[in-house]
Amino acid sequence: MTATLTPAPERESDSRRSPLAWLVRFQSVLGLVVVFVGAILFSPTRDGEIIFLSGENLTNIVRAVSEIGIIAVGMTLVILVGGIDLSVGSVLSLAAVGSAVLLVEDQVPLVLAVVLVLAIGLGFGALQGMASTLLGIQAFIVTLAGLSIARGLARLWAGGQAVPIAYGSGRGEAPVAFSLLGERTFNGIVPIPALIFVAVAAGAMVFLRVSAFSRHVYAIGGNEKAARLSGVPVTRVKITVFAVCGLLAALAGIVHAGQLNQGSPNDGIGDELDVIAAVVIGGTALSGGRGTVLGTVAGALLLGVLNNILGLNSVDSNVQLVIKGLVIVAAAAVQRFAPRT
Amino acid sequence: MTEGAPLVAMAGIVKRYGGVQACRDIDLTVQPGEVHALLGENGAGKSTLMRILSGDITDHDGRVEVDGEQQRFSGPADARAAGIAMIHQELDLVPALSVTENVFLGRELRRGGRLDRRAMAQRTAAVLARIGVALDPARPVERLRTGEQQLVVIAKALSVDARILIMDEPTSALSTSEVDRLFGVTRELRRDGVGIVYISHRMDEIARIADRATVLRNAEVVATFDPRTMTTAQVVEAMIGRPVQQVFSTPDTSSGEELLRVEDLAMRSRRLQPGRRDPDGISVTVRAGEIVGLAGLLGSGRTELLETLYGVGSPGGTTGRVVLGGTAATPHGARQALRRGIAFVPEDRRLAGLVLFHSVLANTVIASLGALGRLGFVSARREWRAAQDSAARLGIKAAAISDAVGTLSGGNQQKVVLGRVLRTQPRVLLLDEPTRGVDVGAKAEIYQLLGELAGQGLGVLLTSSELPELIGVCDRVVVLRDGRSVAEFDTEQAGEADVLAAAMGEKLAAAGGPQ
Repeated sequence: MTATLTPAPERESDSRRSPLAWLVRFQSVLGLVVVFVGAILFSPTRDGEIIFLSGENLTNIVRAVSEIGIIAVGMTLVILVGGIDLSVGSVLSLAAVGSAVLLVEDQVPLVLAVVLVLAIGLGFGALQGMASTLLGIQAFIVTLAGLSIARGLARLWAGGQAVPIAYGSGRGEAPVAFSLLGERTFNGIVPIPALIFVAVAAGAMVFLRVSAFSRHVYAIGGNEKAARLSGVPVTRVKITVFAVCGLLAALAGIVHAGQLNQGSPNDGIGDELDVIAAVVIGGTALSGGRGTVLGTVAGALLLGVLNNILGLNSVDSNVQLVIKGLVIVAAAAVQRFAPRT
Repeated sequence: MTEGAPLVAMAGIVKRYGGVQACRDIDLTVQPGEVHALLGENGAGKSTLMRILSGDITDHDGRVEVDGEQQRFSGPADARAAGIAMIHQELDLVPALSVTENVFLGRELRRGGRLDRRAMAQRTAAVLARIGVALDPARPVERLRTGEQQLVVIAKALSVDARILIMDEPTSALSTSEVDRLFGVTRELRRDGVGIVYISHRMDEIARIADRATVLRNAEVVATFDPRTMTTAQVVEAMIGRPVQQVFSTPDTSSGEELLRVEDLAMRSRRLQPGRRDPDGISVTVRAGEIVGLAGLLGSGRTELLETLYGVGSPGGTTGRVVLGGTAATPHGARQALRRGIAFVPEDRRLAGLVLFHSVLANTVIASLGALGRLGFVSARREWRAAQDSAARLGIKAAAISDAVGTLSGGNQQKVVLGRVLRTQPRVLLLDEPTRGVDVGAKAEIYQLLGELAGQGLGVLLTSSELPELIGVCDRVVVLRDGRSVAEFDTEQAGEADVLAAAMGEKLAAAGGPQ
């Protein structure tokens, strides 16, 4: 089929596809490449071998970012509709505690326990979405309350302290299968959490490409009023998006429990900030309607590589915090040059 | 008009946006006491030129002289200091601030280091009185209707006591009587020696108020006319570069079955919203193949009627009957309305119609995704074809349908909105000011399209503040006043004067249309 459009006069149709515009569009991926190359250059060596590039180190990076990354996929959706979810760190902790308590203390079968915990995350997210849309309260406020509520529930459920997970078939022991979350597959190369992260991200990318739902998500974030007048079920889509984010936070919590062999009600504090940082570095606009899951994945990996190389070089952790903050500002600054209408 | 030293002389103005040339070598002068009209299709370069004069755009080539002195403005405040004020087409107001706060934004009056609220309120009230507007200066701007907001923008510009005043489509949301008052003030300013640049699409206004008319096309000056002798055909030909025959009219089509009947519709908002005029007894019918116009002054309830029929008005209870295709139907939200074959094009396409930074494609298909795939999935190929099809059918001028819709001209943006609602295959179209801020060429195309749609058996209910258009395009015109339908005219028999008289409530013998 040939284009039937008349080009507007004096308009270089490829002006916005200039190399610079292209760079800006894939800035998060390019940022990741830059940080990656920098990491190679600054990596310490052992016997002439670059430690950063070793298979074990690289897979460790992906594992280290897997929990943040899984949640960041959900957060991307929330931010795309113009919302925000501050409760994810607490929901992660609630899910980790839930996994440990259900498996160890309540002896709930593995599959049922996982389903229950995921349902808790989904329900918690959906409730926040409802409070935000139906009561007309800003998502920031609702999820700030959610952050507090989920943390409180986690502590109540755990009885105030971490619930350790031992594996076996006896009483007070969790099914051995759950410990897989801390292990690697494919000849011990690929960490299971990394695999889950990649699967979630890939699924989301495909879904965003082919679904009507995703068009609704982008339209709502772009102009909620126009979306509503176009017949987009705005309330339903927003509630769904918050529910998905809660579900993914719970999934990350299960992974967390499996990796650490415990469910601690004090874990995941501040995770929401890392998650939001990954999304923002990935180029998603906090105002909504603009962004990609691919960018978010790149953003999460960028943070992971940065943490990793700073750690390999034994940079003081407080200095790491400062550098991370500067990277977020730099990413946001680059977005200022994004082609606007 | 004095032919002495010009107040403003712009020479050799050049401005590019990337690959787009917005102004190429434009010369323009404004004499003291002159109203200089600027005409041209959207995208012809009028707004860019005026944003240069008002200091909003600073990276341009060419000279700007005020009173014979070359100026190089570093920003709008600089231009304001030189006596230049601009009434923007986009209503640049801060919604949450009051009328007074908006009028004095950035140049608040102080006394002893503290804000002098009383003086600001008094001066705002004075300038509002000057243009004959009864508005509470303390009311937040967000609670005003578009037309009232436009009056606030005008008041803001007038309060500066500018020597050069730029008006960019100042009347697009004003009623006829408000336009008259604005012109009264304009004439006063002219007597005081103020130079005025007046951008408008309305030929009758330019003939009434302007001393000189300059036409821009493709970023260049193509013609200058004397407004007293110019004809619409001459101007339109200069604007679009080809001759036109009849601009606004649609063929009369024989009307068929009744699609929409509204009987004595009234609505009581649950929450009182100042400035809203909810329907309070409106009866109107739309038959297949008919274009029915809603006339009325600002605040007569035209927008509110369309919103209520689409089910997106303010929440509350309705009385009266809405009969759609023979069955009674209570309007309840956009989704339900679309399912029943009613589509709505809102008044403000930027705020309520489009996602400006999304593509033409995304904006075109968003209301009809269900038809472009199945089970919640969408075929990218069918989506692309659908958008391409709409773009071709409506003659949307864009380099590519993947371009952001915000880069298109106003007329093309409106066509995208129309394309979207037509993809939902409606039987009744509700159009709120569909040609507002749309250039003459696109206007003619939109009205031609409406004529074709009516020919295919659609029913159209549309509002417009431009009476000649309404009468030229519609088969019947229903006049609203204070939320009530007060008269109905067959446009074959009634003219502008009849409709206007009914809208203003004058008991003229000539206005005896059927009730």
